[in-house]
Amino acid sequence: MLELSSNRHNPGIDPALHAWGWEIPVYLFLGGMVAGLLVLGGFHILKGRNDPHAEAYPWAPMLGVVLLSAGMGTLFLDLSHKLYVWRLYLTFQPTSPMSWGAWILLLVYPALLLAALLHPPETVPFGDAVLARAKVWSRWLRMRPRLVQAIGAANLLGGVSLGIYTGILLGSLGARPLWNSAILGPLFLFSGLSTAAAALHLLSMLSKRQVKGQFGDALLGGFFKLLDPKAGGEAMLRADTSFLTIELGIMALWLLGLLTATSVHREAAALLLSGDYAPAFWALVIITGILTPLFIQTAELSGKIRHTAAPAVLVIIGGFALRWILVSAGQTSHW
Amino acid sequence: MDAPFYKFGLFGDNASLLVAFVIGLGFGFFLERGGFGSGNKLARQFYFRDMAVLKVMFTAIVTAMLGVFWLSRVGFMDLSQVYLVPTHLGPQVLGGLVLGLGFVVGGYCPGTSIVAAATGRVDAMVYMAGMFAGMVMVGFAMPAMDGFLSSGDYGQVTLAKQWNVSYGVLVTLVVFMAVAAFLASEWAEVKTGSRELTSQPLLGMKGLTRSRGLMLAFIGVGVVAATAGSPYRGHDVRVNEKELGQMVSRQADHVTVDDLAGRLIAGTNVPRLIDLREPGEFGRYHLPGAENVPMATLASAQWRADESVLLYSGSDAHAEQAWLMLKARRLPQVYTVEGGLDAWNDRVLFPRLTENPAPGEVDAQKRKVAVSKHFGGTPRGGAAPGEVKDAAMSLPPPPPAEVPAGGDAAPKKKAKKEGC
Repeated sequence: MLELSSNRHNPGIDPALHAWGWEIPVYLFLGGMVAGLLVLGGFHILKGRNDPHAEAYPWAPMLGVVLLSAGMGTLFLDLSHKLYVWRLYLTFQPTSPMSWGAWILLLVYPALLLAALLHPPETVPFGDAVLARAKVWSRWLRMRPRLVQAIGAANLLGGVSLGIYTGILLGSLGARPLWNSAILGPLFLFSGLSTAAAALHLLSMLSKRQVKGQFGDALLGGFFKLLDPKAGGEAMLRADTSFLTIELGIMALWLLGLLTATSVHREAAALLLSGDYAPAFWALVIITGILTPLFIQTAELSGKIRHTAAPAVLVIIGGFALRWILVSAGQTSHW
Repeated sequence: MDAPFYKFGLFGDNASLLVAFVIGLGFGFFLERGGFGSGNKLARQFYFRDMAVLKVMFTAIVTAMLGVFWLSRVGFMDLSQVYLVPTHLGPQVLGGLVLGLGFVVGGYCPGTSIVAAATGRVDAMVYMAGMFAGMVMVGFAMPAMDGFLSSGDYGQVTLAKQWNVSYGVLVTLVVFMAVAAFLASEWAEVKTGSRELTSQPLLGMKGLTRSRGLMLAFIGVGVVAATAGSPYRGHDVRVNEKELGQMVSRQADHVTVDDLAGRLIAGTNVPRLIDLREPGEFGRYHLPGAENVPMATLASAQWRADESVLLYSGSDAHAEQAWLMLKARRLPQVYTVEGGLDAWNDRVLFPRLTENPAPGEVDAQKRKVAVSKHFGGTPRGGAAPGEVKDAAMSLPPPPPAEVPAGGDAAPKKKAKKEGC
């Protein structure tokens, strides 16, 4: 008997399109963290012309460059036709988030490098000659306050664009109801800000470790002593607390939006809230990544418990889990 | 509400993972707060200088034991649903020795090493790395150890069964053992000079410290347990194999569907009819006058000692199992409907008629049609008046709860039967 399968029993109609593997969530995580570093750095430059604490994180822009390169590396690995990557830069398509992303990623590099040049580190383990030349340029830059402000503004703007773009990249895909919300832009921006603040906080905590001659401590302390941030991590702790709170609020809005939309969107939200991704989402993103660090940080800020690197590590785990789960669950959700 | 919640389907697999996460969070938190994140503190245990580990473990064991016992005893929890690790004596003795050795040398047991690592202790991280490396090695060595690991299988052993005492008595014994251990460890701590007994008196009573108050509470709740009966639900039953075997071989354990149909129509000598299927199936169709008692609830159903019970399900299996259960409860008159509802449908509701019945079979054929019509069915085949050949076997709507008292077919049939 010849049977025509004209509905969704046909596997070709609803293909399980898990086209994105590990590369995309890793890139979204790194890109988000770089966006956060840009915003925090740009804000400090703009605010701190006369503020000694403005020089708090000389390594933040450098860290940004490294992470951005790693993130773009994963994007490159994801490309099917790697040799044609240059073609992205022959055109600009204002309606394509991909095109926006390609150009934003390119333009963010000079902003990060200039910010790094504004605050060169005191010493580097090698390359003293390069550092000396950089310091000459740094002095030249810092004598021009308007230029410094422009660099700060470029960092801030670049960071916001990059952070929002990573969310819009997913949000513009109408075929995936879980992602199909413009609020993913701000969500990823604030998640990126919280992971960036956590990363800086982590660096400041680790670099404060006393070298006591014990094996592990000596290893970590000796390495992080190089980073030598001048201010404590308290500012980052405060910033992180507000970012996490805002992130939680935006996430609630996003899920509420899905739950009050069509049944397709409700099913998509149920993937995270009660479905197959629920254990990971609740355990890793909400409890580990947001609520626990919020709880610990609040206790730390009110002086009830000692400052540790623990909340920073948890926030970074949560930020990564958010991208990973969202990319996997989104590819499962369908019309 | 019934515990264990997961086994009773209160939540699914996904929620169970989340519950596990939250429990783990609490477990880790309290281990750390109990001081178990410190290898030094744990190691002091073995020098009798700081007995916190022993006290915490015994408190946890006694609290959980009393909780499980009493929650089961009052019917909130079904203890038979709690998994018991089977006993493999040799492998478990060896495993215990390996764990103890690692504990003494490294200062951590698996759980506390994770807690300590989470608080940033490098020694615990190294310990954890060793633990996971060991797991990988054991994983690879598994095929070689398979014979040893499954040796000495004693099944699910409990001390109560082993010693033939009641669970309540065992609970009391463990409570006394724990309290003795508490007192001994306090004594040891004072003896080794690592602690002075300076606790606050409880309720203004001198000599009654908070920990001693806890011990008294344990003793109180534990001693009552000795007389409280078994925490397990259900009953252990005995059957008389010989008697049951004879009943089955005499075919005294069942009635046929034709016999049942006759009794229902006559309205006399109808036993209590029990439908063992699920409520949904029962709702679609059931025998006239039947009660719905699904298999899972059979154990809690109430019976009069002298009543006669007729069990049926879709086919034979469930009815026969239920028959054994009720016989084990000493009900004298329990029967099954042979072939169950399948046979009822096949022979009573939708009987097959032959095309040209022999003269002697005409009456029987007519009776079949009448009986089938009486119960709302349709005969198949044959030349019975007013019926469709090979009609779809659609079940009639479920009959009213009572047995129809004297339908119009009943007296006719009765008369015919007498005529034969």
